[in-house]
Amino acid sequence: MDPRELYGRQVPLTASEAAMLPDNCKLPAMLVTKQLVQCLRCGSQLDRKKAQLPQQQFYCYQCLNLGRISTLTHLYHMPEPNDFPTRPACTWQGQLTEQQKACALTIRENFEARKRHLLWAVTGAGKTEMLFPGITWALAQGWRIALASPRVDVCLELAPRLQAAFADAKIAVLHGRNPEPYQYRQHTICTTHQLLRFREAFDVLIIDEVDAFPFAANPRLAYAVKHAVKADGALLYLTATPSQALQKQVHRGELGISYLPLRFHQHLLPTIKVKLQPNWQQLLRRGQLPRCLVWKLQFYLDKHQRFLLFVPRVKQLAPVQAAIQHYFPELAGLTVHSTDAERLEKVQQMRDQKIQYLVTTTILERGVTFPGIDVIVLGADDEIFSTAALVQIAGRVGRSKERSTGLVWFICASHDRNIKRAQRQIALVNRKGRRLLRATLSPLSTAHS
Amino acid sequence: MGCGRAQTHKRLCQDCQRWPDNGTFHNIALFTYNDAMHRYFQQYKFQGDYQLRRVFAATMQQAVVEQNIDRVLSVPVTPTTMQTRGFNQVTGWLAAGMNQTELFTKAKSKAVPQSKKDRQARLQTPQPFELTTAVELAGQRVLLVDDIYTTGRTMRHAAALLMENGAKTVTGLTLAR
Ligand SMILES: [Zn+2]
Ligand SMILES: [Zn+2]
Repeated sequence: MDPRELYGRQVPLTASEAAMLPDNCKLPAMLVTKQLVQCLRCGSQLDRKKAQLPQQQFYCYQCLNLGRISTLTHLYHMPEPNDFPTRPACTWQGQLTEQQKACALTIRENFEARKRHLLWAVTGAGKTEMLFPGITWALAQGWRIALASPRVDVCLELAPRLQAAFADAKIAVLHGRNPEPYQYRQHTICTTHQLLRFREAFDVLIIDEVDAFPFAANPRLAYAVKHAVKADGALLYLTATPSQALQKQVHRGELGISYLPLRFHQHLLPTIKVKLQPNWQQLLRRGQLPRCLVWKLQFYLDKHQRFLLFVPRVKQLAPVQAAIQHYFPELAGLTVHSTDAERLEKVQQMRDQKIQYLVTTTILERGVTFPGIDVIVLGADDEIFSTAALVQIAGRVGRSKERSTGLVWFICASHDRNIKRAQRQIALVNRKGRRLLRATLSPLSTAHS
Repeated sequence: MGCGRAQTHKRLCQDCQRWPDNGTFHNIALFTYNDAMHRYFQQYKFQGDYQLRRVFAATMQQAVVEQNIDRVLSVPVTPTTMQTRGFNQVTGWLAAGMNQTELFTKAKSKAVPQSKKDRQARLQTPQPFELTTAVELAGQRVLLVDDIYTTGRTMRHAAALLMENGAKTVTGLTLAR
């Protein structure tokens, strides 16, 4: 095999694949002591019994889908030499707003200083574009960079945008569904899961949507991030809804933070309105909807206002849709959920304005924008909606310049903790947004007086 | 008699009729090889998730104790497989002491994995097994355990070897057919 494929990597090889490689690139794959059985690729401390193979051998049952690690294998690794022949430039022609420029500068400075940093940018702030100046600078230094996300769909969405912005760079796109073999590249886009295959590879590692499932609940991925970046490399977390854990790191001073509290069109986030309706589930069982919701639907029918109606569970989709159709047969809409075979077609019908509404579960929370919509969440206090999910759902509203506001309406039996936290997060960034607006507007007002 | 294939009539199936000794050998298959079974073997055998032996261990062990036999042998894997996979997938299902794999071995490592050969190529392979120890098989009723019964080639080669060395009867037991 080409030794360059081992630069900054850690991969298990068969004896024949490793035959031509120098001996010093061979590392142990597992650590086995009297007290501990640990996988050295994913860091998992394993249950001795579960990890046991015959004849006193052990394997890791936690990262199997990347190819099995066991005491019968070795990991092969070569230090990252930053062996890149060209320096690709940025070919993006767009313009950043003043606030985006300020944020982009902070990002670049953090790369340069090789620091750990969190960028809290509200939904619809245009955070991908803000990365371009920093990435351009890092590529020009010959640095190796990666942009990783816990979600494959985020990677798939980012890859063509980044490739268009850096047309001369060959970007490696790595995820479980990509059958292409690995190639050594200066610029990588991958799932955080794929980071388990890297060791001290990146001078800059950017983690997008850091709080999206499954990153938040998976300690292996935190381990992967820590080991994929060089010991003195820069780390940037991007999120619209930082978890408690990340906010704690900021408070302890382990992580720098900057905010982009305004959307690209310079408006604040729409705030969440809560309507308590303890008996909505009983009503639904009788085929009815809360009266407040019926009035709202009547209004939407009259005004041709488009909307998304979120429900917690897939099994609630059909009864809610039946009830809507019972009250308003002339209102055109569909239900859609994550494993719906016609999901893409239905979303497209909503995009093409062929239907006025979708009843859906959490699946549309990220990455999907319908300009000018309202959002209603029926049962927002259900445990299935995390704080992050609620903020993301609210963030579907007001995404366009033409209609930068809109209604975010939570109908629920109780005003529970996740809803309060979501409201607090939105209130916090809006406070910062208002301050920023005042700061940018005040020079103008003094000029007029 | 036959291979344990699920079918509607009682005659030997087409696979079994090809074998010259089709009157004496018979195989018991516990499950039909379907998509779910295929996924199971992908994860257990090819991905190497040894924990998954537990899924069928009790079922397999129960089937073994129900047989009227003197000795249980599981079909061996090659030394190369032991070095890379680290386990014999059949032995994994059986209780400690129930099987005695080490009695015989798969002599040469296979150039082409069994699953990649077509049916004709599989039927023509020479005897892949040999006994490693001089073992007293005379007059014994042997239960030979394997994972999947496909053409019967593996089973019948192993059975022939055991019969040549004095076994009284050889019965096959596989998880799937
Ligand atoms: Zn592992
Ligand atoms: Zn048959």
